[in-house]
Amino acid sequence: MSYGRYGRPALKNSVDVQLQTAFTDGNWNTVIRLADKRFKTLKDPYYEAIKIAAESQLDGTIERCTALIAIDELVKSKAVPDYDTVELLEWAARDYLYDTEYAETLGPLRARWVKANPKSKFSVKCLQSCLEYWDLVSAQQIATTLDKAFANSGDRQYMFWSITLTYLLSISPQCSEASKKVYSLLVVKQLERAADITENSEKVESKDRGLLQEEEISLYYRVMLSHGSKEDFVSRMESSKLGPLAQLKEGRKDLFYQALNAYESWSEWDRIYDLCRQALRLGLDGATPTFSVCDYKVWKKFALAASKSRDQETALAEVQSILKEFIALKTNTAMYKKNIALTLLDTAFHQPTAPGSSGNESGLTPRVIQIGLYLDSYFDKLSAFDDVKDFVAELGFEEVKGLMEEVLPKMLEEKSEKSSQVILKSLICKLRYLLTTCTQTLSHNPSVVDGQEHDKPYQCRLCSALITLPCESCLRSVVAEAAQIYQQIVDDSELLAAIPRLDKDPRIDLALVMGNSILKLSGLRPRTSDVAPAPLRDVNPSLFLQAVLVLDTQLKVTPGDVALRLLLAQLYLLLGCASYAYQIWTPLDVKRTIQDSLSPLFFDRISSLSPGLFTGTRPLMEPLRSYYNNSLHSSCPLRIWDAFGSGSYSSILEMTEFDSKLRRSCTLMMSIVEERRATRAFGGKIECEIGDLALTDNIDDTTILLNKTDYGSFVNLESPQGPPIQEFLRIGPELSNERAHLSFLAEQYLDLIHHKPPKDHRPYKPSEASIKERAYTFETLSQLNNSLTSFIHRPTTPAALTSPEATYYTVVSLLSAAVLTALSSTRADPYPAETMSVLTSSIRTAFTGLRTRFTSSSTSSSSPGVDETFYSLSDMHTLSYVRETALAMRHSAAFVQAWNDRELARDRSGKSTLHKDGLAEMKALDAMAAKTVTEVKGHIQKLKEALGQGGWLDKMLDWTFGGEKGEKEEDEKVRKAVEDVVGGREGAEEWVGKVVESWGQGVKGWGLVKME
Amino acid sequence: MANFRQFRPDDLNKFSKCNLDPFTETYELGFYLQYHAKWPSLFQVAEDQHGNIIGYIMGKLESSPDYYKFSEHYLPWHAHITAVTVAPEARRLGIGKMLTEQLEAAADANDAWFVDLFVRSTNHKAIQFYKSMGYSIFRTVKDYYGDHSSDPTKSSRILRHAQAHEERRQEGARSGKWREVRGGPE
Ligand SMILES: CC(C)(COP(=O)(O)OP(=O)(O)OC[C@H]1O[C@@H](n2cnc3c(N)ncnc32)[C@H](O)[C@@H]1OP(=O)(O)O)[C@@H](O)C(=O)NCCC(=O)NCCS
Repeated sequence: MSYGRYGRPALKNSVDVQLQTAFTDGNWNTVIRLADKRFKTLKDPYYEAIKIAAESQLDGTIERCTALIAIDELVKSKAVPDYDTVELLEWAARDYLYDTEYAETLGPLRARWVKANPKSKFSVKCLQSCLEYWDLVSAQQIATTLDKAFANSGDRQYMFWSITLTYLLSISPQCSEASKKVYSLLVVKQLERAADITENSEKVESKDRGLLQEEEISLYYRVMLSHGSKEDFVSRMESSKLGPLAQLKEGRKDLFYQALNAYESWSEWDRIYDLCRQALRLGLDGATPTFSVCDYKVWKKFALAASKSRDQETALAEVQSILKEFIALKTNTAMYKKNIALTLLDTAFHQPTAPGSSGNESGLTPRVIQIGLYLDSYFDKLSAFDDVKDFVAELGFEEVKGLMEEVLPKMLEEKSEKSSQVILKSLICKLRYLLTTCTQTLSHNPSVVDGQEHDKPYQCRLCSALITLPCESCLRSVVAEAAQIYQQIVDDSELLAAIPRLDKDPRIDLALVMGNSILKLSGLRPRTSDVAPAPLRDVNPSLFLQAVLVLDTQLKVTPGDVALRLLLAQLYLLLGCASYAYQIWTPLDVKRTIQDSLSPLFFDRISSLSPGLFTGTRPLMEPLRSYYNNSLHSSCPLRIWDAFGSGSYSSILEMTEFDSKLRRSCTLMMSIVEERRATRAFGGKIECEIGDLALTDNIDDTTILLNKTDYGSFVNLESPQGPPIQEFLRIGPELSNERAHLSFLAEQYLDLIHHKPPKDHRPYKPSEASIKERAYTFETLSQLNNSLTSFIHRPTTPAALTSPEATYYTVVSLLSAAVLTALSSTRADPYPAETMSVLTSSIRTAFTGLRTRFTSSSTSSSSPGVDETFYSLSDMHTLSYVRETALAMRHSAAFVQAWNDRELARDRSGKSTLHKDGLAEMKALDAMAAKTVTEVKGHIQKLKEALGQGGWLDKMLDWTFGGEKGEKEEDEKVRKAVEDVVGGREGAEEWVGKVVESWGQGVKGWGLVKME
Repeated sequence: MANFRQFRPDDLNKFSKCNLDPFTETYELGFYLQYHAKWPSLFQVAEDQHGNIIGYIMGKLESSPDYYKFSEHYLPWHAHITAVTVAPEARRLGIGKMLTEQLEAAADANDAWFVDLFVRSTNHKAIQFYKSMGYSIFRTVKDYYGDHSSDPTKSSRILRHAQAHEERRQEGARSGKWREVRGGPE
């Protein structure tokens, strides 16, 4: 059947022109009249279907259902339906047909039709339709029918459609556990049979039912890996036809990788060693393109496998020998040369003689020498630091000294060009920073020295200072050193002119080193649990501001640098300058597909930091919303039919999995929840309950929501032994399954207590309606309470939340229980006094904790330098959760009260009204919350006034540069270095203006937030 | 350091090193998936040791619809490079070249007559890059990027590279099945 205008199916040719025209023009009333007439005269049920299809285009609810009823009847009749009728009815019902309904009605109808007409050209259309509704059961049946019908036709496609769909079904929730087993066995058998045909025939022709194309063999590998036994897989990989080596000769690299990864997952090192060795030999002999084998991954696995070999020495010698042969190849591109150089470095670290970190010997071990050789060739490449970082972090202390004190200074001496010198120097700075994050530079220090106790548990072996972690004295010298090189570049016009020709502007690296070092000196640490204080609470504000200033100054010079932007956007969020952070974020142009992995970097928790951002002209979450709506609008994975049509079986499997992951994205949940919170904050109307959104349709408590945040573009100078940089920069723990679920459940709770029946809603039988509503409310509250409690008590949850979040979710969970208890105790029942008082007092305790954290922050004596405003502005997150929690309490109390009032109105006897003690307890919570909300309002007002006062320029400059008075000597060294780079206090004035303005905008936004 | 392999949809979550660079366009999900679905061997990536994508190439195989057959713009069966990008930190190591060569090999395996692509005439780096691999300017098109201006910097160039199957194109020309296209100012 072809499709006409507006996607309307074309009617059968036999239909007369008058009816055709009416249908094409969408004159539904005419169509109904004409079709009815034709049906009566011709008795052809097709005309009835046309009539029904036209009726379903009309507005009335009953008319809309007629198509569904007609479909049901066809299903029940067990007869083979007319194809065009099915098409017509499917089209008619398209807008209100759920996928599950499809799988019970149209899917089986189509499968029934195909069974009767397997060779019809419309069969494939039936398969496509089932896939559009992701009805895998019917789709698999159709594909199997097609495969049987065309088994001898040479059209291999049907066979592999059938196999692929059987496999998809065997891993799909649409299939019962028992059927999953059956389908798993079936698909393995089918592929084994196909593989055996290939193995046993001289040459597979396309009419045979063997494996031929790469995609077919890939499907075979994947299915065997997932459903077969390890032994079977391993033995089948030995095949001289379908095994990975044979396939590699055909240039089929993906299969080679699949085998290699499988072996790795089973720690089959000898097999890895053999496979890599043979593959690389194929590359050397020209039997496969080097492209297929020269990846770093192959080399790395090869070297690692050799180091695990029983005969390690011989195996490693073989690695070396193959490496040498590759080095001798003339055709190596720069990339392969680099891969080989890195492998040489890697093998040095696998040598059995490599000294451990104990090293008393000289530091110039082969490992250090290899690092030196590598850097000598690649020091000026952007990736040089990343390439050697993990190796350097693994060196023993003596080796570190050998590298830093002998190898690198010597290399520096040998560089004659000025630009090479500064590049190498800035690389050395980065390495020095890295070493402050490595434990081998520390030794434990006795807690009593010269009879005196002290609180420095370590001694830095590089500078001998007694320290707590990290070594501040080293960090300070790194800052000074970096600033000095920076100055050298800025003062040298020759160097400045050379910068555009370099791989990277060394000033960016130097600014990053300075920024990172000063952040560490400021005391910024990862906040990875719910007991951590507010982000900047225990940070030295001057140093923090200096770090931001240095980085901001650099961004002005090199606005195109992505890493700087990402870092600064995070830092400004920490500082409470969300609007400025947004200005920095926007040019990164995170849009469309990359939003899922990148927008959390800016938008996570944004409504708690600066709801004002949501009042801009363009809805803040619109791009995310439209991305998810576009990508997930149907339950069928996007573009999957294209993959069927092209025989890309591995793509089908990957796209299906990707689709399932995208539906479970933490970012998706984040975008919905952040937007709802902001909408509520400004008193907007929430259109749809969160649980009713199509995007949350398949999410229940057992769904594992995935965090896919991509930190790949951060410059991470930290050693692999410690947390990566992003953990220092976030307001709190990253997105997680736990937090996403809690936020989803809390929103559902709010939906319930905010639910108001439409004003004109007059139930036909009020008392029956009331019983139903009551049952629904009790059921929902009890489910929500169970779910919330279970998520809160998971051992992994505390590490997934900030402290204010933990309180909020705890309180919401307790509230759901308290409300349920209050509603279930009517005046007529005995009152569960103890339960209720435990609940409300737990709520009070939790809330008081949060409130204290908030109020103490608004009154406590400030640390030297800055006043309390600084801390308040950088901790709007706590304020936000005080407000959210208080409002949840107030609204819960109001919900209980309204319930009681309704019961009173309904049943004048008063028997069904709530127990007065329950009401009173809820009221008390309300009073407590109301008082706190007033405090929140006052707090915002105070901030507004503080920001409205003059003198901010001087004040901020004093905060930043420490006001000199009482400054510690060591801090002075850092401050001077910063002043040099940013051009002194004057150089910082514009920046101060931006920071203060952004604070002002944030507070202005808060001023608009509803407090009731 | 790099590994080369076929694109997988999960790679989209690791695109930042390439796609945060302003010269690289980010498309809707369906666009990437369409390429992965239809021409998986023409969508290749390079990844670093952390799984970040540091380069990728997307291409397709196509010919003009039959009704163009007698138009001078008719294109026979060929491969088209839709996008190629390498992360700044991994440039000038030959990654772009290897990705392109891999696509050309896949195009050959699919009997493509030539490979072509569009590039903004202001993207000198990219033009240098293609020229170094033997591509030449075939035609200059105004307003390809749809900004409706007569600004010459907004025009774009079609570059082409003959494939092993090019000789068939010559044959085709001789036997009159298709006319040689010579278009554009260059
Ligand atoms: C164009 C681009 C893909 C090149 O990738 P690459 O991996 O750096 O290129 P290669 O290292 O493979 O370069 C191969 C050859 O191309 C030429 N070339 C590449 N980049 C060049 C540049 N910036 N200037 C001059 N020639 C260049 C050189 O001849 C080079 O060989 P050589 O290094 O031995 O001299 C990359 O610069 C990029 O991603 N740019 C941004 C995105 C873009 O513009 N894409 C093209 C849109 S159609």
